[in-house]
Amino acid sequence: MSDYSEKNLDFPQGRTPSEPVGIGLRHPYYKEVLETDLDLGWLEVHPENYFGGGVHRHFLSQIRKKYQLSLHAIGLSLGSDQPVNTDHLRRFKELIDIYQPFNVSDHASWSASGNAHLNDLLPLPYTQETLDRLAQNVTQTQEYFGRKILVENPSTYLAFKGNEMHEDVFMNRLAEMTGCGILLDLNNIYVQAHNHGYDAFAYIDTIDKRHVGEMHLAGHIEQSIDIGDGKTASILVDTHSRPVKQTVWDLYEHAVRKFGAVPTLIEWDQDFPTLETLVAEAEKARAIIKKIQMPDQIHEAA
Amino acid sequence: MKLHSVQKNFRDLMLDHPDVLNTPSPEMSALFDEGLITLPARLKVYRNNIVGSLTDLMLASFPVMQELVGKAFLEQTARSFILSNPPEQGCLTWFGRGFDVFLENFSPAKSLPYLPDIARLEIALNEAYYAADDLALTPQDLSAIEPENLAATQFPLRDSVNLIKSSFPILDIHAFCLKNDPSETLDISGEGTNIMVYRPELETQIIALKADEFQMLAALQSGLNLGDALEQTRETYPDFDIQIFLQKNLADETFLKF
Repeated sequence: MSDYSEKNLDFPQGRTPSEPVGIGLRHPYYKEVLETDLDLGWLEVHPENYFGGGVHRHFLSQIRKKYQLSLHAIGLSLGSDQPVNTDHLRRFKELIDIYQPFNVSDHASWSASGNAHLNDLLPLPYTQETLDRLAQNVTQTQEYFGRKILVENPSTYLAFKGNEMHEDVFMNRLAEMTGCGILLDLNNIYVQAHNHGYDAFAYIDTIDKRHVGEMHLAGHIEQSIDIGDGKTASILVDTHSRPVKQTVWDLYEHAVRKFGAVPTLIEWDQDFPTLETLVAEAEKARAIIKKIQMPDQIHEAA
Repeated sequence: MKLHSVQKNFRDLMLDHPDVLNTPSPEMSALFDEGLITLPARLKVYRNNIVGSLTDLMLASFPVMQELVGKAFLEQTARSFILSNPPEQGCLTWFGRGFDVFLENFSPAKSLPYLPDIARLEIALNEAYYAADDLALTPQDLSAIEPENLAATQFPLRDSVNLIKSSFPILDIHAFCLKNDPSETLDISGEGTNIMVYRPELETQIIALKADEFQMLAALQSGLNLGDALEQTRETYPDFDIQIFLQKNLADETFLKF
């Protein structure tokens, strides 16, 4: 029988990939990614999809032999006003120990309240109380893992009246308080700018370069909503189901000029395109990096 | 409002009847900066993300049930289940556990008494698919046990093994639904079924078991040692053949390596 027991796996310590652009690895691509030599620096997966054994871990083990890996969580619920679930941390750390990712991340959002885990990245009020709670949970996570994590700026569809600071300042302060890095999602910044009337370029200008350890690019959809009197308004929803919009590429260019060629990911999670399409999106990101021709090719995230 | 209350109120709203989103409480409305777009529309984006993605997950996890009751009925039933049994953890791999018990008490499904057992079968298939990777006990491992110690030895089953007893022919129903041939009919008045769902390597398997073999496996799974499990099984099935049982289950890779 094929021995898929992880006891026999011995992956080297993850390192920041020399080629900065990667794609999100999702199950429809497993076989093709294994069989094709892709011009990609790295791959990212959601660890929650690999907490069990079987086919998914089997493919991940094969694929990790060819690529550097980043583990991007969606289930830690770092922004909940309760400690991080230790069972989730334990299963996550088991994957970190086996697969040796170069980056480990989750979001500045919440999902769990009491025993209910609402499977979405829910919005936080940007207050000192939230910052202290989030920092406590990030610290709990970093201490459990024995390593630095990155925290991603979210897409939100609600803003709190009681906000005491802007999101960009909130993200910087979190990084300063905990030593965590920032995973800067350019699509999310664009969605926030549209939904809440921010200036997306100013957001990037505020983010401290020292904290940025990874960038994400993805597509969104626009929903038209009836607001009465025959008028409509639009809200952007971060669906990861479309190509990256030109306006988001413009933001990315601005970000690369400031932060350098930080590891950058193309994310696509619904209405999956061909792998070729995904790789072509990655190629666009590389072309932007090349155009800017940073002399220091790779920003050290660690 | 403190963060704790914000999150608790938001959670309760998301898991409430969908109409409640149209008229959020003044306390809830006071929390948010609406802008041009009204609060109900913004809340619905979250509600759709949460309930929609979990409903999709359940449609994917219960394909046979979808064949039996239709997509619309399963969606509606899944939504009721989701709102009363939201996920308890950030990993959704095992979401859907408890759907069998939910169906037993779900009055719109009362006319299909075999549905809870079909749910048990599909939950078992999902559990086996994601079960921890482990190794099977080999004939060499067995022969390494001293014969005088055999009776006192426990034979734990693989992590993926799930034993299901049903008074309906759920294996036939399962195969019938997957075949999806509208010209055929199925007589469900026949005998009940004993089955084992497990994953020897990467593929999940369903195996029909004889009643004595089922009882013996269940006894071993409950932690009884070989001698006690055999004694218990022979109380009901005096002719149960332990040699054949061991040979078959070593070949099927049912026992966990220890």
